[in-house]
Amino acid sequence: MPELGRAALALCLGLALYALVAGAYAAKTRRRRLARSAQNALLAAFGATGVASIVLLAALLRNDFSFTYVAEHTSRELPTAYTISAFWGGQEGSLLLWLLILTGFSAAAVALSRRTAADLLTWVVPVLGLVATFFAFMLVVVSSPFDTQLATADGAGLNPSLQNPYMMIHPPCLYLGYVGLTIPFAFAMGALLARRTDELWIVATRRWTLFAWTALGIGQLLGSHWAYVEVGWGGYYAWDPVENAALMPWLAATAFLHSVMIQEKRGMLKVWNVLLVILAFCLALFGTFLTRSGVVSSIHSFTQSPLGGWFLGFITLIIAGSLALVITRLPILRSKTRMESLVSREATFLYNNLLLVALCLTILWGVAFPILSEAVHGEQITVSSPYYNFFLRVFGLPLLVLMAIGPLVAWRRASLRSLGRSFAWPAGLALVVGAVLLVLGAGSSWIGLVAYTFCAFVLGSIGYEFVRGTRARRALTGGSWVAAFVELVGRNRRRYGGYIVHAAIVLLAIGIIGSSAYDTVRERTLAPGQSLAISHYVVKYDQLVRRNGPNATEFRAILDVKKNGSSVGTLESGKNSYRAEDQVSNEVGIRSDPLTGEDLYVITDQINKNGTIAFKVFVKPLVNLIWISGLVFLLGSLVALWPSAAEQRRLAARYHELRALARA
Amino acid sequence: MAAVLAIFLLYVSVAGGTPSIQPSQLHGRTGEVALVGKVTGAPAGDAHSAPLRFRMRDVSGASASIPVVYRGSVPDLFKVGREVRVEGRLQNGVFLAKKDSLRTKCPSKYVAKKA
Amino acid sequence: MSALAFAIGALLAVTCVVFVALPFIREPDPAEDRLDEPGALERRALELAEERDRALSALKELEFDHRTGKVSDEDYRELVGPLRARVAEALRALEPQAQSTEERVHAAS
Repeated sequence: MPELGRAALALCLGLALYALVAGAYAAKTRRRRLARSAQNALLAAFGATGVASIVLLAALLRNDFSFTYVAEHTSRELPTAYTISAFWGGQEGSLLLWLLILTGFSAAAVALSRRTAADLLTWVVPVLGLVATFFAFMLVVVSSPFDTQLATADGAGLNPSLQNPYMMIHPPCLYLGYVGLTIPFAFAMGALLARRTDELWIVATRRWTLFAWTALGIGQLLGSHWAYVEVGWGGYYAWDPVENAALMPWLAATAFLHSVMIQEKRGMLKVWNVLLVILAFCLALFGTFLTRSGVVSSIHSFTQSPLGGWFLGFITLIIAGSLALVITRLPILRSKTRMESLVSREATFLYNNLLLVALCLTILWGVAFPILSEAVHGEQITVSSPYYNFFLRVFGLPLLVLMAIGPLVAWRRASLRSLGRSFAWPAGLALVVGAVLLVLGAGSSWIGLVAYTFCAFVLGSIGYEFVRGTRARRALTGGSWVAAFVELVGRNRRRYGGYIVHAAIVLLAIGIIGSSAYDTVRERTLAPGQSLAISHYVVKYDQLVRRNGPNATEFRAILDVKKNGSSVGTLESGKNSYRAEDQVSNEVGIRSDPLTGEDLYVITDQINKNGTIAFKVFVKPLVNLIWISGLVFLLGSLVALWPSAAEQRRLAARYHELRALARA
Repeated sequence: MAAVLAIFLLYVSVAGGTPSIQPSQLHGRTGEVALVGKVTGAPAGDAHSAPLRFRMRDVSGASASIPVVYRGSVPDLFKVGREVRVEGRLQNGVFLAKKDSLRTKCPSKYVAKKA
Repeated sequence: MSALAFAIGALLAVTCVVFVALPFIREPDPAEDRLDEPGALERRALELAEERDRALSALKELEFDHRTGKVSDEDYRELVGPLRARVAEALRALEPQAQSTEERVHAAS
């Protein structure tokens, strides 16, 4: 069976190469049948990768330890769900998942765009073929999941820290995001190669970009939740290179989502948009590479990993190739339109872009700095949270303000008087909220207070937009408020979906600010019966129990929690000791307050032989808003993603009636 | 504007960064560093009360070891032979670690384990 | 190598090759094999169509912003005139394209 897997991957490599070479030749010499053949090759590549994936999955499910990969990442006692997740738990498998999603998305993009963007597609196919060739090559030559060995009796098992439901969803979600960014990239390159200057590539890939961006966002949020709940060190984001690896392409994609609107409305920023999509894609590749090869810890581990050199080579090739392409097409891309006013929606979008890209590059600098400093000084210098948090504030706070201002400003030019009127209510609300918070004691962190005021400003402006829109809709068509609201959103899905997403970001910001600027920490070693007071809670350590789980011995401290004097139940916090892997993991106890959204978070730091336990206890206000924001984010994206028949008709008219015209 | 950002970034990262070095390179350095190496010898004490004392040597194992004094959270993966990272400064031949800065490198893929 | 694996592999390979060769199998000797490509005329028409759509959507948005109160009455009066002119111009620019193609066809036939 492994030979089938290897053969399927080799077949995929051949098909991808054919799609690349034949596709490029067909596009250049304008051959219809060859171009179609290249498209089919891309579709077939998905089939071949599918077969290879099934072979690996089957081997995992039947515990075939003659596959080195299966032996390294699973064991007989591993629950089935985690055996499946082992598909992407290791390097080779995750590359296969990348290729599977890539060929799948490519096939879908080809199938969906065959009629609406036929001539653009002829150049998109070789670009997709190029990326697929790289990954197929890696899987066939460098890092194959189908290496075999003498079958062992049992496998090494999955790292205990990966044995939780998040492992089922977090990596695939992120991969959908990373790979998803390949489609807009390929269409952008295709448009350049075809010497086109229109926005068909943007229109054709708008939903792809939105989908990939949403998947990246949700994937990261899941990862943060995982870190918070399972890894249990007390936080949800540590500015780790692997965490930043997903944040950077997401920021670039956010900038891109906004700047394409400028191209759509004003025909400007064509070059900037192409550069942004290249940046987003390269960061997605870089992110995959970072997470997979543990590169950033040291330049030496980088050269030791077989993957490192290849990936970096490919990224360099992509950067060089796409930049060269942009430079040669520069004359035709330059637009004649100038920005009319610094106070217009285009301008706010531009400022937003600059801030997002600046934040993205700042993070990139922080991630790459150790490698660069080692190359220059011979010594690795790392930067950590203080650096990142500083820049997050520097760029994040203005971004919050822009989120409030943007929707209130009109395109092209906004007169100060209409601006003043639009601002009045939201700004007034923000000041009131700020004053109230100050009275309630939020002044302990002035940055937190300022940030909260900005958040109120944004929420006020979004609410105002919804109210004004619904009122106008109702004035136009009559009917109830609810009907008017639904109609309003239905007719302007991108705009109002976008506002909902902004609201989600604000909730995220409030959750982050609350849990970092206003949190409390206490550390104490307690003997059974002793208690610890923190904020308005009193935590009493009752006893330590020991249980036998399926593959680990579980130690739990039973804690009695009182809030404001009255008992609110018990909490368990402790550690798991995994027998097979000989590892210990932290199992934190979290009590979420449904009304205030705050968490009581208890880490069992150390269980001492004499029965005392060293505890570390946090109270994190508003932290659950972070997870709730994910749901709102998803809702907003869905609204924006939802296809609109009217829009499809309009676009079809634009791109089809002209062809009919030309042919007539 | 890009130039301003670039200069600012350079300054902040150079000023704010912490060098990562191994025990053999520690000799003579007085500033705050991040010490990376393998745990050796028998750790003694308790990081939460009397400080935890252990020794660290180079990852490659070649050099002599440095004594480390640490207070704070100890990662579950911490044990002799594990690769760890801890911040602090060298004082009188002993490395005084910053509280809660001890991290272990996960033996398999993925991220360094935190306490 | 098990017989089943070989069979599946062979089937897969054959299917893929056939699928890739399909365009050539279906049309072994076509009348023309050229790929349609937007000519200069079509590109210009596309550019103008995009400009038309931009102007139309800007007008629509101005109306919407005015109705929701984002743009004041004075601002609206100032902006709507030039925008309407722009839309008219964009629509006019597209007309000759349609006309000239039709004229050429008529001339040819």
